[in-house]
Amino acid sequence: MTFQTYDCLQMLPIILLSLSGIALLFLGFQKSRALLLPATLLFLVIAFVANFLDWGKTYMYFRDMLLVNNLAMIFTGVVLLSTFMVVSLSGSLADDEDAQPAEYYAILLFSLVGAIMMIGFENLIMLFVGVEILSVAMYILTGSDKRNLRSNEAALKYFLMGAFATGILLFGIALLYGATGSFVLSGIGNYAHSATNAGGSMLLFYVGMFMLLIGMLFKVSAAPFHFWTPDVYDGAPSLFTAYMSTVVKTAGFAALLRILSVSFSGVYDFWWVAMAVVTVLTLLIGNITAVYQASFKRMMAYSSISHAGYLLIGLVGLSQASKPAIAFYSLAYSLSTIAAFGVLMLVARNRPLNAAVFGDQTTLARTDEHYDAFNGLARKNPLLGFVMAVSMLSLAGIPLTAGFWGKFMVFSAAADRGAVWLLVVAVLMSAVGIYYYFRVVIAMYFREGQTDTIRVAPFYRIVLIAATVLTLALGLLPNLFQGLI
Amino acid sequence: MLQIAFFAFIALTLIGALTVLLTRNVLYSAYALLLTLLGVAALFVFAGADFLAVSQIIIYVGGVLVLVLFGVMLTSKPTTISTSTVVASERSNAILAGSRGVWLGVLLAAGLFFGLSRLLMNAHFALFDQPISKAPTTIDTIGKQLMTEYIVPFEVISILLLVALVGAGYLAKKSIKP
Repeated sequence: MTFQTYDCLQMLPIILLSLSGIALLFLGFQKSRALLLPATLLFLVIAFVANFLDWGKTYMYFRDMLLVNNLAMIFTGVVLLSTFMVVSLSGSLADDEDAQPAEYYAILLFSLVGAIMMIGFENLIMLFVGVEILSVAMYILTGSDKRNLRSNEAALKYFLMGAFATGILLFGIALLYGATGSFVLSGIGNYAHSATNAGGSMLLFYVGMFMLLIGMLFKVSAAPFHFWTPDVYDGAPSLFTAYMSTVVKTAGFAALLRILSVSFSGVYDFWWVAMAVVTVLTLLIGNITAVYQASFKRMMAYSSISHAGYLLIGLVGLSQASKPAIAFYSLAYSLSTIAAFGVLMLVARNRPLNAAVFGDQTTLARTDEHYDAFNGLARKNPLLGFVMAVSMLSLAGIPLTAGFWGKFMVFSAAADRGAVWLLVVAVLMSAVGIYYYFRVVIAMYFREGQTDTIRVAPFYRIVLIAATVLTLALGLLPNLFQGLI
Repeated sequence: MLQIAFFAFIALTLIGALTVLLTRNVLYSAYALLLTLLGVAALFVFAGADFLAVSQIIIYVGGVLVLVLFGVMLTSKPTTISTSTVVASERSNAILAGSRGVWLGVLLAAGLFFGLSRLLMNAHFALFDQPISKAPTTIDTIGKQLMTEYIVPFEVISILLLVALVGAGYLAKKSIKP
């Protein structure tokens, strides 16, 4: 591609998000916080529209730095939609005296810049800078509940381990540059193709490749690099856990998909065994440990590990079909996860009141994110019960929900490659998943509980309903989305 | 002459690194780290990477090390530790003696060292085949590349710095309520 003078007009989402993040910081000077939430949502909508302006075209920007094509636009759209929903669930921040919503929203928008770079990168430097922007933003947001010890611990843990993983990622990039002499994905891919044909030692290339993959697998919390996930997801404020488990995961898998399909497809025979082992480990550890959790939030952390496993199946069965499959899966997973966390936040916020009524403040306050919190929820709050039930069904992969088609597409991509034993493990683990997802549904519909009617703000309600409707619509008509790619 | 200087800098680097590891005093460790970092900077000069050497001195010696020294001076209070009767400078280095798996660590480090050095010695670096540039310094090329080819990452890094700045400000700020 040649260098075009109107380049910078078409990198709009990144520029818009950076500028609106700065604008939000200035809006934070105002006394009133009423304007922050609508402004953030408006900025996100503008970025969403700007993202799809180039629909149907393929551009390579700034001397092979960023690629924009339909797939990248879809991933960016998923990420922007997830952020829009997470932000719209944050209305209670404005009433919280300790919170600094202007800073939170600005950091969220900045972190999206990193996510978009990870989605469309063509140069490994762009990948590194994108990963860093997203990670640094996440360290801060994890520790944003400054007076909560668990949040502090989670932030420090995440920061130390994340910095270590970044070091491994960077080492891998350096070795790859040494072996291939190029930072550009297609240049590395050309080397992989020609060097495998020519013979000779490619040890440097392989070591670099595995270090790069380890760094990225850490970021998407695949086993055996998952150990930080439960503590961090549990300690972070629920709002940002929802963001982390959707946006970071989507961007991480988009980046993995990109680098594996462009750079490393020539040495597929070399890495697919290692990736398959990681996939099986992730599925086993994620699903089986999730069964033993007493806390809903911790279960969601392990569930996010197990979903990383299902997404990895799409990567192991790398083909043209796995691109839309992973995009669809990310969308389905993000929708149901955000809806589930939305309900959890409402339930958890209403728990301390109940605790005061029953006088047992300490014990109940500590169990506000446990399964017990959902007991009898559906009786008095049929809407919340339904939203939660649909998102649990979708995460479990029950037919007529988006999650089913996500799993189906990912599995069929792997089946084409003939990895049948992998599918057997995956299907068995999905059955395990049904157990812990249904615990919530059973608690809501069949257990007796003392939940009062929970007041839901109108906009919050609309977002929850929209997520549920989209989950069901994609479950009934998956072709709606598939036709786009 | 050049060879003598080269080996002198290697000795400087190694002695500094060993002192960091073996000394019992954190402050001495920090000073010894200065030697190591300067020695590495000199080795970069020998490798023809003058820009890298200068940034090594500016960033690591000038920035990171000063930060480490401030951290050591502001946080360590050997007099207030009442559980141990030993003076801080006489207590053994926690990294070396604190954990039981010392030999495991040494073995791991040695294995990593031999693995990586073998890997790098036997590697065929792609850029070795290309002609070496005759330019007296690399700074000229780096500056031009930074402003043309790599302008996008260069600009976007400002977002990274902004995020870090906003986040550090937020986390360090006192809460309004006590």
